[in-house]
Amino acid sequence: MNFYGYPRPDGKAGARNYVALIPTTGCVNAVCYQIEKMIRGTKALPHHQGCLHPSKDTEQVTKTLIHLGKNPNVAAVLLVGLGCEMVVCEEVLSGIRKSGKPVDLLRVHEVGGMLDTVNKGAKTAADMVLQASTIRREKFGLEKLCFGTKCGSSDTTSGLSSNLVVGEVCKRVANHGGTFLQGEICDIMGGEYALKKLCVGQVQGEKIVDFVRDLYLRGLAMGADVRGSQMTTGNVAGGLTTLVEKALGANAKGGDVPIQSTLEYGDIPKGPGRHIMNVPGHGFENLTGLAAGGAIIHLFTTGRGAPNGNPILPTIKICGNRKTNATMKEHIDIDVSSITSETETLETEGQRVYEYAISVANGTMTRAEILNFDGTMEILINGPVM
Amino acid sequence: MLKLAKLINDKDNVITALADIAADEEVKVRRKEEEMIYRCNQDIPFGHKIAIEDIKKGDRIIKYGEPIGSATQDIRKGDWVHTHNVRDDYVVLDKSGKPLTS
Repeated sequence: MNFYGYPRPDGKAGARNYVALIPTTGCVNAVCYQIEKMIRGTKALPHHQGCLHPSKDTEQVTKTLIHLGKNPNVAAVLLVGLGCEMVVCEEVLSGIRKSGKPVDLLRVHEVGGMLDTVNKGAKTAADMVLQASTIRREKFGLEKLCFGTKCGSSDTTSGLSSNLVVGEVCKRVANHGGTFLQGEICDIMGGEYALKKLCVGQVQGEKIVDFVRDLYLRGLAMGADVRGSQMTTGNVAGGLTTLVEKALGANAKGGDVPIQSTLEYGDIPKGPGRHIMNVPGHGFENLTGLAAGGAIIHLFTTGRGAPNGNPILPTIKICGNRKTNATMKEHIDIDVSSITSETETLETEGQRVYEYAISVANGTMTRAEILNFDGTMEILINGPVM
Repeated sequence: MLKLAKLINDKDNVITALADIAADEEVKVRRKEEEMIYRCNQDIPFGHKIAIEDIKKGDRIIKYGEPIGSATQDIRKGDWVHTHNVRDDYVVLDKSGKPLTS
């Protein structure tokens, strides 16, 4: 199989061809929503950050916005700023411009209000869409594919079927020279030492342990032992006995594929293979972080049926629960309940899901895209909201 | 037809029930090309674990090829394995390797 992607000036290839409308502060989301409604082919990337952060968070938000603009699924970017936010618009502009993509900036204070900004922005976005629509898909090797993964609305079937299947996909991605991004530090908690053993370098392994410890200490500062909130009564009733068992079931999405590096939130990996990013399990921040890291397809395993996607990251829902596959059919892309019933092998289902994911990269739409269930996202911040 | 249980890793000493199983019922497990049969000593709900060998008190429970906890009492082959006979050994360590948690 081949990947037919949209070529980008920086040599990468996209699975989608969007003009992204990126607010540099959550204060101007409304402007982006209006332009998105008016101009076909645009995608608003709404969030609630950009202001009143400690400087480390401002840096994290700035970097994430730049990396979202650089994501290969994005053909061009219209940045919308307010004019008084902490994120420096020019920094985001020049950061995205380095990728060689068309990018423009409007500030609501400068233009003089929302209505004129929408008017100007819509005209710019329309020209960008026209230009983007002339880009044709080209044949690329599978090494151009970058996958993200997470599990959500999980149940007993997740660690027994869908996560194991995605682990098989991860093997194939790594064998073909592709990239695979995994995170969910809360879910890794308890399984960090198992992941450490898979790291190619000692430093990387220690970093995964640090990610987990930092999360634990942040919980303690709030008076909570997050080990307890990770392991729920429902988990125990479903058959999970220990936090380590739960973590190993979540980690299984990467199988025993070696881990090449650890990444901070929204960082772009330097090479192919499997990487662990410091992203939370919460879907909105998770998918945004992995998209900033360069993921162009997301493998999202679910047991009870998590419906959300992300504006620029096609999200494939994979479910091993027979009942959910019937009741939540419109939200599930691939049924792997054959693993729960032992009627298919992991190898067969892993290959089927890998091929399906390539077909999604080639243009097959995900359920979340078809239902417009992909409009919500968030950027992770770590400090207090001022 | 026998109900099924799943062996995730060849190193595991537990399997997971893929259906609700009654005491004294036998379950079938696929291990590569082989099929193994185990008799369950208690009722085992869907998603819960069954020991496939005798596990002594203090020995580790292995699933996904890794230890997930240790036995708080002797566990017999065919026994239900859960919070009543397994302890979670996980602790968060500080940078110097000292436990941060109990």
